[in-house]
Amino acid sequence: MIKENRKILVCCGTGCLANNSYDVYTQFLEKLKNTNIEVIPQVKATGCNGLCEKGPVVKILPDEISYFKVKAKDVDEIVLKTILKGEIIDRLLYFDLNDKKRIVSHKDANFYKHQHKIALRNIGEIDPKDIDDYKKRDGYKALHKALFEMTPDEVISQIEDSHLRGRGGAGFPTGNKWRTCSNYNNNPKYVVCNGDEGDPGAFMDRSIMEGDPNTVIEGMIICGYAINSNNGFLYIRDEYQLARKNMQIAIDSAKEHGFLGKNILGSGFDFELEIVRGGGAFVCGESSALMASIEGNVGEPRAKYIRSVEKGLWDKPTVLNNVETWANIPPIIINGAEWFKEIGTAKNSGTKVFSLVGKVKNTGLVEIPMGTTLRELVFDIGGGIIKNRPFKAVQTGGPSGGCIPAEHLDISLDFDSLGNIGSMMGSGGVIVLDDTTCMVDLARYYMEFLSEESCGKCTTCREGINTMLNILNNIILGKGKLEDIELLESLSETIREASLCGLGKTAPNPVMTTLKYFKNEYMDHIINKKCPAGVCKNLTSYSIDKEECIGCGACAKKCPTSAIIGEPKKPHIIEQDKCIKCGSCFSVCPTGAVKIGGALIESYNK
Amino acid sequence: MELAKRNNVDIPNLCHKDGIEGQGRCRLCMVEVREGKKTKIVSSCVYPIRDGLEVVTNSEKIIAIRKNIILLLLLKTPNNDYIKSLAEEYGVKAPDRYVDYKVKENCILCGLCVKACEKMGTSAISLINRGTTKKVSTPYDDPSKDCIGCGACAEVCPTNAITMTDKNRIRTIWNKEFKLVKCSVCGKTFTTDEALQFIESKLGKKEERICDSCRKKIISEKFKESFKYF
Repeated sequence: MIKENRKILVCCGTGCLANNSYDVYTQFLEKLKNTNIEVIPQVKATGCNGLCEKGPVVKILPDEISYFKVKAKDVDEIVLKTILKGEIIDRLLYFDLNDKKRIVSHKDANFYKHQHKIALRNIGEIDPKDIDDYKKRDGYKALHKALFEMTPDEVISQIEDSHLRGRGGAGFPTGNKWRTCSNYNNNPKYVVCNGDEGDPGAFMDRSIMEGDPNTVIEGMIICGYAINSNNGFLYIRDEYQLARKNMQIAIDSAKEHGFLGKNILGSGFDFELEIVRGGGAFVCGESSALMASIEGNVGEPRAKYIRSVEKGLWDKPTVLNNVETWANIPPIIINGAEWFKEIGTAKNSGTKVFSLVGKVKNTGLVEIPMGTTLRELVFDIGGGIIKNRPFKAVQTGGPSGGCIPAEHLDISLDFDSLGNIGSMMGSGGVIVLDDTTCMVDLARYYMEFLSEESCGKCTTCREGINTMLNILNNIILGKGKLEDIELLESLSETIREASLCGLGKTAPNPVMTTLKYFKNEYMDHIINKKCPAGVCKNLTSYSIDKEECIGCGACAKKCPTSAIIGEPKKPHIIEQDKCIKCGSCFSVCPTGAVKIGGALIESYNK
Repeated sequence: MELAKRNNVDIPNLCHKDGIEGQGRCRLCMVEVREGKKTKIVSSCVYPIRDGLEVVTNSEKIIAIRKNIILLLLLKTPNNDYIKSLAEEYGVKAPDRYVDYKVKENCILCGLCVKACEKMGTSAISLINRGTTKKVSTPYDDPSKDCIGCGACAEVCPTNAITMTDKNRIRTIWNKEFKLVKCSVCGKTFTTDEALQFIESKLGKKEERICDSCRKKIISEKFKESFKYF
């Protein structure tokens, strides 16, 4: 059965590329060239589809068949069976671990069916390097509408009415930002895109820049028109090479098609866009440090008592927004503020892209309406914890955010609700943790990250984070004392109040929230010299419960140092002096007879 | 902070000096600012003054912040006399288990030396690296061709962290050696040949080799002369 207008979409986002999806793409082109077929399907290399762990992802339209973990050697079979005969290859379909069944179209999978894509609307459906693909899906219609049917004031009003809030983390009302900036009578003004996504585990902005660069470009041109700016800068972190490449191709294409440059579409409005390569530091994602970096200076933030909308780039009024915020602008202009407000909650309209990672079954990017609960995100969309282990917490907002324990699972995911419990939406990173995660080690991990990324300008952040890291290192080594908790709390207060920029001010959050919700773990580490999750090696020991051991020997086989001895069907024993605490025995034991204990007390009897 | 100083209100600071713009590095100058119902904590060296601002410089919160900042500096430079005296003044004691008494570091990264060098017009030193590895140095720690050995950096440093040695008519600073010049009046060495040459190139004329105190004496003699006739 040969269908007309067939399209084969092969995901070529960075995640799938790392899994050789480009070979899959070229193999399709090769195979179709040599196949006897009436209408050759179009093969497109698209951006990220979201379910990155199951890539490479191949979608076939209009059949709506989605294949996962496709290898180059599967391509011949796909062409012969699915393309030529319309047959579905079961083993390549998505398998839902919870419902235990195969799903044909990804749209029916739990991971996708709860999503509402606005910022990610085109990603996975278009070739990001082809501007015509973008135009076919309402691309640059918003720009046309803004330039010819709206005044700059009307554009700003529509963004204000939509209640769009910045998606970079702070959630500042975008319309307000544009309005304040446009009111300053000081030219030239600048429009900047913050593409320096730095949170570990966050890749929302990367996917947008790689998979649909034009939506960002269009958003920025519209802003330029609204605030009367003719120059824009895209600050892209240097590690994102594919994003930079695709962005440049998009800029060049847009210029060719008259969407950038002088007299755009004959409107009389000029706008130039330039990419600036990131300086290579997490702190350059901070707005004033980013602007310093664009100016050619060291990426050090400045005290923002005078805001960047008044004095930003080269001391001129500047609007800086995050990639995801820009991606939302064209749909709002086309569909109107009311349409946007109908999605999400009263004060938090629209959607948010989250990167759902960690100990969850379905990991990847999801875009959901504001107000979705955390429970829905982790269990309905994410499919729950791997191996159905108990849920412990999620870490949101990266190193600036906090952890949210099980008692808050029904919290609504929006800026205000998360802020109220001491956490933060941040850029949208959601790391799911189970009972094998040590919260003290998690806090230590973030402090280590921040101590390396601090710019070093102000005493509180530079010295404070380092001191907190030293205290936490001591605790996980078993050298912690009770006074350490007080010192951590006191230093956190100071660092939060007195630091110069957002990095410093939010740095104590991981420690503070883990102390608030998981104080018992800190106590276990300090007083009982025990790590309940079995992560901190100095405070962990494994032992086998004689009553529960069935003598199957699985642990002994797995043990890398041959530390487990025992006869078949008889209880086994772990020889402590040989044990390196890798935890393999714990994970293979079928009866749960292997128990995690604290440090062997003898070493701490001082 | 400058306004407070003029009105005899003391706000402690480490990275501020008259003649140099506020940097906001040390965070010791934090104060509470009340605007309407909102209170916020700001660094007084850079916060813009507005009519109607209510500023609190010594609340419990502010004092707690100051103490912790001094504690952090004490942990970084446990053997520095200036920081130790500051700690004593504010009653700050660092917990022994976190102090590494072997550390001989003196620099608190206030950045005043960099600013002074900038003001001199040489910009030979700068703050390099990021985070806890940040330090003040010349490019690649090499002797800088821009350094004139004027010693302005050593003079502004609050903690005596910059080593400048004058010996046998040679000054050594920042891994570079300079020739010291003798005052033609009193014979004492007072600055480097390179510094004088730098000043001459800026002024466009020759400078006399006379030290500061002799220069003052000469000027005061001239004043005495001119007033003789009144």
